[in-house]
Amino acid sequence: MTPTSERNVTGTSFTRGLGIVTVLGIGLLIVLGLFVSPADVNQGESVRIMYAHVPGAWLAYLAFIVTGVSSAAYLWNRTRSLTWDRIAGASAEVGVLFMGISLVTGSLWGRITWGTYWTWDARLTTTAFLFVTYVGYLAVRGLGGSHHQRARRSAVLALLAVLEIPLVHFSVRLWNTLHQEASVAGRGTDVTMDGLMLFSLFLGVIVFTLMYVWLVLHRQRALALQDMVEDFGLDAALAARRAEEVV
Amino acid sequence: MDDLGFILGSYIVTFGSIALYVASVVKRSRRAGRVVSREQRPWT
Amino acid sequence: MTDDPQRIGSSDDAEAEIDLRPRTATPVPSRKRRPWGALMVLAVVVVAGFVVITKFLTSAVDYYCNVDEIGQKDGCDAGRRLRVQGVVDAGSVADDGTVTIFDVSFNGETISVRYDGDPGGIFEECIPVVVHGVLKNGTFLGDRIEVKHSNEYEAENPDRVKESEDGECSQSA
Repeated sequence: MTPTSERNVTGTSFTRGLGIVTVLGIGLLIVLGLFVSPADVNQGESVRIMYAHVPGAWLAYLAFIVTGVSSAAYLWNRTRSLTWDRIAGASAEVGVLFMGISLVTGSLWGRITWGTYWTWDARLTTTAFLFVTYVGYLAVRGLGGSHHQRARRSAVLALLAVLEIPLVHFSVRLWNTLHQEASVAGRGTDVTMDGLMLFSLFLGVIVFTLMYVWLVLHRQRALALQDMVEDFGLDAALAARRAEEVV
Repeated sequence: MDDLGFILGSYIVTFGSIALYVASVVKRSRRAGRVVSREQRPWT
Repeated sequence: MTDDPQRIGSSDDAEAEIDLRPRTATPVPSRKRRPWGALMVLAVVVVAGFVVITKFLTSAVDYYCNVDEIGQKDGCDAGRRLRVQGVVDAGSVADDGTVTIFDVSFNGETISVRYDGDPGGIFEECIPVVVHGVLKNGTFLGDRIEVKHSNEYEAENPDRVKESEDGECSQSA
């Protein structure tokens, strides 16, 4: 490895500590989710998929909301900064990853319990649409142009896309659907959940939150580096042209 | 048990895809880090 | 992006010392490249979004009814495709290898269901299901069964297995 390529480019002591805690949390979640927590009386062993599926979906919502808020912060004159744009982009990318995880694990779970990988039910359909929307958002970010052009274009799109989230969340109530209501954050009247299961689920949410923060911090810094590299490329081209005029 | 593959598969998909994403972010930032000097990074 | 191994320092440095070596290739600013990849992803996204919406709207044409709404609510009529929700009655499931027959109840009303094949999944008595099919001569001819999972998460308990094998469903619908 050449001396110029460092191993740790976007890390700080904070992210390093966070990373260690996160990895330990992942280990604990796997042990609890796969081995220690009990099987469910109806779902049997398949309930173990919930500990990845539910936190994945929640953190994806959170990520998309963060994208919306930082896009608004970019569009507002007083707080306009490309940092907000990069946080929006990084958060959307992590959100798409988590939503993809949630869709895949959900479909594996559906195969076991509902007997089908996929059904065009309101919750599943609106979630798939949300996923596709944010893949589109990421593609729009890659369309090129100056950093501020990219930021403005994607911020407007992000503010439109975030409106889908309430639609997805309430889809279970708006239409009769196969998907159960939210287990913990729902209307909360007749929800019963075993203690260890509840703990595993909350651990899952905590672990996914830590992963989210770690990933967004690093990705946002990586985006800043990539923006700088593009600026330098342009600077170098301008400097070369100036040198030509001198000769 | 039939479901075992599905359950293990869901955990592998979850943490495997996150690991792949981490690897891609690290790779991209290392490549960019060769051009941008340490003093120019606001977080250092 | 440039692969030039030469590290570019702060912009002051870059202006201070002009590179006198013969230039091999000017770095191409990335904005001159057409972002074909992004455009292609965008096209796929638009098509996928369209497919998702169409699929949802066409499959939503199957009216979603509870058992007690059949013949009562608009759209929940015999002879058209429906999705019927109810709880499988205890002791009603008969399976002769090719056809499964069982009763589904909701709010005190019951219909009998005839399904070709093995429902699969975690299908069993006393659980809520959604059956896709057509009502004909008082029997619902199902071609697809989905198990609607209830909102309750309980640890599996050996004592409870016995209980659920008794005639009555212990769970409320």
